[in-house]
Amino acid sequence: MSELRVLWMPLAVAGLAVLVLLVDVLAPPDRTARTGRALGWLVAAGLAGALGASFSVDGSGRAALGTYDGGAWTTFVQRLVVGAALLGALGALDDVAARTPKRQGEYWLLLLASLLGMVIVPGARDLVLLVVAFELMGIPLYVLAAYAKNDRTVDGAQSRAGEAAFKLYVVGAASTAVTLFGLALLTGMAGTSSLDGLAEAPATPLGTLGMLLVLGGIGYKIGMVPFHMWVPDTYEGAATPFVAFLSVAPKVAGLSVLALLFVSGLGVHRGAWLPPLGLAALLSMGVGNLLALPQTDLRRLLGYSGIAQMGYVLLAVAAGDAMGVGMTLFFLAAYVVTNLGAFLVVHAASGGGRGHGLDAMHGLFRRAPFLALALLAFLLSLAGIPFAVGFWAKLYVLLAAWRAGLAGLVVAGIVLAVLGLFYYLRVLQAAYMIDEEGERATPRASPALGLAIALCLAAVVGLGLWPAPLVDAASRASVDLVHPSAPVARR
Amino acid sequence: MTPTTLALTTLVAPASAALVLAVVPGLRSRGWPAAALCILASVVSLGAALGVLSGCLADPTPSVLAVPWLRTSSVTVAEIGVRVDGVVASMLSVVTLVALSVQVFSLGYMHDEPRPAFGRYFAYHALFLLSMDVLVVAPNLLQLFAGWELVGVTSYLLIGFYYRKPSAARAAVKAFWVTKFADMGFLAGLLTLFVASGSFGWDAHLAPGTATVVTLLLFFAVVGKSAQFPLHVWLPDAMEGPTPVSALLHAATMVAAGVFLVVRADPLFAQAEATRTVMLVLGAATALFAALLALVQTDIKKVLAYSTCSQLGYMVAALGAGSMIGGFFHLTTHAFFKALLFLAAGSAIHAVHSNEIGDMGGLARRMPVTGGAFVVGALALAGVPGFSGFFSKDLVLEAVEGKLASLPWAALLATAFLTAFYMGRVVVVAFFGAPTGEKAERAHEPGWSMRGPLVVLGVLAAGGGVFAAPFAHLYGREYHFEMGVGPSLAAALAIGGFGAAYLVFGRAKGAPLPAPLALVDRVAKTSIVNRVYEVGYRRVALALADGLAWIDRYIVDGLINLLGYGTLEAGARARAVQTGLAPDYVLAAMLGVAGLAVWAVLR
Repeated sequence: MSELRVLWMPLAVAGLAVLVLLVDVLAPPDRTARTGRALGWLVAAGLAGALGASFSVDGSGRAALGTYDGGAWTTFVQRLVVGAALLGALGALDDVAARTPKRQGEYWLLLLASLLGMVIVPGARDLVLLVVAFELMGIPLYVLAAYAKNDRTVDGAQSRAGEAAFKLYVVGAASTAVTLFGLALLTGMAGTSSLDGLAEAPATPLGTLGMLLVLGGIGYKIGMVPFHMWVPDTYEGAATPFVAFLSVAPKVAGLSVLALLFVSGLGVHRGAWLPPLGLAALLSMGVGNLLALPQTDLRRLLGYSGIAQMGYVLLAVAAGDAMGVGMTLFFLAAYVVTNLGAFLVVHAASGGGRGHGLDAMHGLFRRAPFLALALLAFLLSLAGIPFAVGFWAKLYVLLAAWRAGLAGLVVAGIVLAVLGLFYYLRVLQAAYMIDEEGERATPRASPALGLAIALCLAAVVGLGLWPAPLVDAASRASVDLVHPSAPVARR
Repeated sequence: MTPTTLALTTLVAPASAALVLAVVPGLRSRGWPAAALCILASVVSLGAALGVLSGCLADPTPSVLAVPWLRTSSVTVAEIGVRVDGVVASMLSVVTLVALSVQVFSLGYMHDEPRPAFGRYFAYHALFLLSMDVLVVAPNLLQLFAGWELVGVTSYLLIGFYYRKPSAARAAVKAFWVTKFADMGFLAGLLTLFVASGSFGWDAHLAPGTATVVTLLLFFAVVGKSAQFPLHVWLPDAMEGPTPVSALLHAATMVAAGVFLVVRADPLFAQAEATRTVMLVLGAATALFAALLALVQTDIKKVLAYSTCSQLGYMVAALGAGSMIGGFFHLTTHAFFKALLFLAAGSAIHAVHSNEIGDMGGLARRMPVTGGAFVVGALALAGVPGFSGFFSKDLVLEAVEGKLASLPWAALLATAFLTAFYMGRVVVVAFFGAPTGEKAERAHEPGWSMRGPLVVLGVLAAGGGVFAAPFAHLYGREYHFEMGVGPSLAAALAIGGFGAAYLVFGRAKGAPLPAPLALVDRVAKTSIVNRVYEVGYRRVALALADGLAWIDRYIVDGLINLLGYGTLEAGARARAVQTGLAPDYVLAAMLGVAGLAVWAVLR
């Protein structure tokens, strides 16, 4: 019975998926779009319930032969991904109902299946469970990316969702192979597939190779340079509300694995993984910020900006101590609400049928003041301006890295962040300062989409003014994760 | 009310006004209610600030009201709240007073704007005052930084207010970007300070080397915000904003924030003699350089803009010489007389619809209040004895004298002469002589909403010198003034400058610039510094971006093509399902993995 308590979150998500399946099958076949929307609201309500319950259910302890741990770390990451799924569901609700009124059940089922993988990933303390959960998370995403494949774009061209999904799939499959190979080598090094055993194993050359292969494999999933090339294409091609989810949730899961595996499991071997990880962080910040400069499609722009953001959070992982891990979580929490919100605003603003170019934002301030205000908050947060949560995220990450002696990376991060202002400012300029003459369709966010944006906005502003509770929670969640034998970062 | 509650009031008032204007769009779009609300908030702020000031004059003990803000693992890293001491009290009073004057002036100046724009303008003003107050009352450098950034964002909105004008939008971006570029130094300095001392306070004791690094980084941010060479380039461009905005941001508040930071972090700067030397040299050089550029401008606002750079150079030099009072008192008097000059210039521009001094001519007769105000401002700025600028400049010169073989002192004295000369030129050309055009002939005095602030600021600019003694008292010092050799020299130079300007420009108006000035003019027009930055952005950043994109698309692609036809075939097959480059992407990433593997083996 206590095992069920520890596993309650995966069970809850799985139960919700089954419920959605049943409702979808048993509902009368001639549903209109309206009853279909009810299915989306059911998913959202279920996820909100799970999120709320996570604050009262105590799932700490080990389950499934010690391969799953339900402690503070797991709970924190689970809240992030469930929260992202909730916001993503609210944002996608109307889009799904309008595109494919007859087969919405599929969409929600796939989303929940992927989420099931994501809630297991942070709890996995065994490499085998980790791989299985990671794949459970990934495979439904390929299908979801292709969900809009029969759509037509503004100028009547075929949607590029098929291409987006294909790229995501090919890259994802390759990444799985690489990760799996790396994990096999690590298992060989430790003589066990348990994460705890990993921490005690002495390093071997093949083990080091394994570590780096895992780094590369997970690097694909989180869009880390040089494994980033699928990101802009996929973001541009797939349906925007789905991209909003794709741009945050899998990255949270991926980075939680990186932190778990490298800082907790392989913390003693920091010397082996720090140089390549630091280099990847540097390249991600550089390539992301620089390549975002010339973009005119907002989804590509946010794609490159997301690559840069991954570079920053990798700095915290590279710090390799308790503070670094805690700030990884804090950064991810800030990133979820900010980036998801930004994509949803882009989706809502493109509702006027003008595509996703920079010019779709012209005069947004006059046409849709709420959306413009939300966009302002999200972009300022991404740029790291004070009193938006992104400022604290960046500050803490830089502090953690600076404390750990990564001065060069910190300086590079600060310089590149200034470059980032250029492209965020360009979007804001389009929304606030350029105002074309003549009437233009006023984009209107549906209630669900509006609610999702409002929630993100409240989080970005609220946590920006008062970050202490979240920082505290993130620090607490990471306290028991760092292996005692990990080198203490020098002051 | 306690001083801290009063200080808190200066935050709450504009915050409430901004909040109400944000959530009730009807108020903003109707215009006048927004203006009334914003001005009411500023009046409350000013009252509270003066309360703080009188409290501090009676009892200068600092008091702090703060709550924990930032924690890591239950250790409080920083607090948010208000701090009240002499520095805060005087700065708050200056900021709120100038803000209120500018807002009242704007009632008349912005009168012809459409109602929604009018409301938006005042909403921005409320936000700006809030940001500035957050910065001033900060109990630690972290909150100061937060306010600093907010000031940057709101100034972007205000400078770009005429967003339909491309040059204004460009200027706003440039101002934001240049200052933000400099803010890198602030952030890096904060991080270094925190790692070295474990807090964001300005009273930490640091190792000598660390202190130098931290203060140099902070000073880099000051160079950007306070428009010192070579980051001064944004200030003249920022004149594209409405003139009252220039009076507020580019005279009294935003640009002064940099100087304020140095005053605030004085205990840190006191530990770094090297940084102070850099400040002394850079400040004196900027003062002289900007004064030369001010000589040749024909746009009245540009003259004032370069003059601001120059006067900020004075303040920086004083701080570099270790005289906190000199720098800070000059900041205070400068806030009064420069705001006065900008507002008077605004009144003149309003009347003749041109910024060119050549289009004005003889305005003093048609507009006695405006003309009188401008002349008072010019006399104060030039440092003519009896006016406020004379006393504050004297403190600066006294501090600098004898440092570094007196070279900075000589530069500042030369600047004093040039200052009187270029201000004399503007006064003679724009306000005296015969009207040069139809518009100048028909110019008339504006309404009382615009004349009132001119009178108030005029009185302060003229008589501000009397504040020197209470000002020194706030810092527990004594103030004595003696008409010794230094002050006499400065006074002679100031009067001489005016006289020279009258001789050169008084008789032959429209005459070409004298030969040495023509040379300066030509140098100014090439704007070398600007060109360097432009090239920096276009050639370096964008080229790097293009290069990377090119590598992404072609080099990696080409490498893969070289790897064999098998890949090409796979590519062709993939293209049949509309997916072009996907396998190439995988291969690119595989190359990355291979690189990692090679590294692991070679290690």
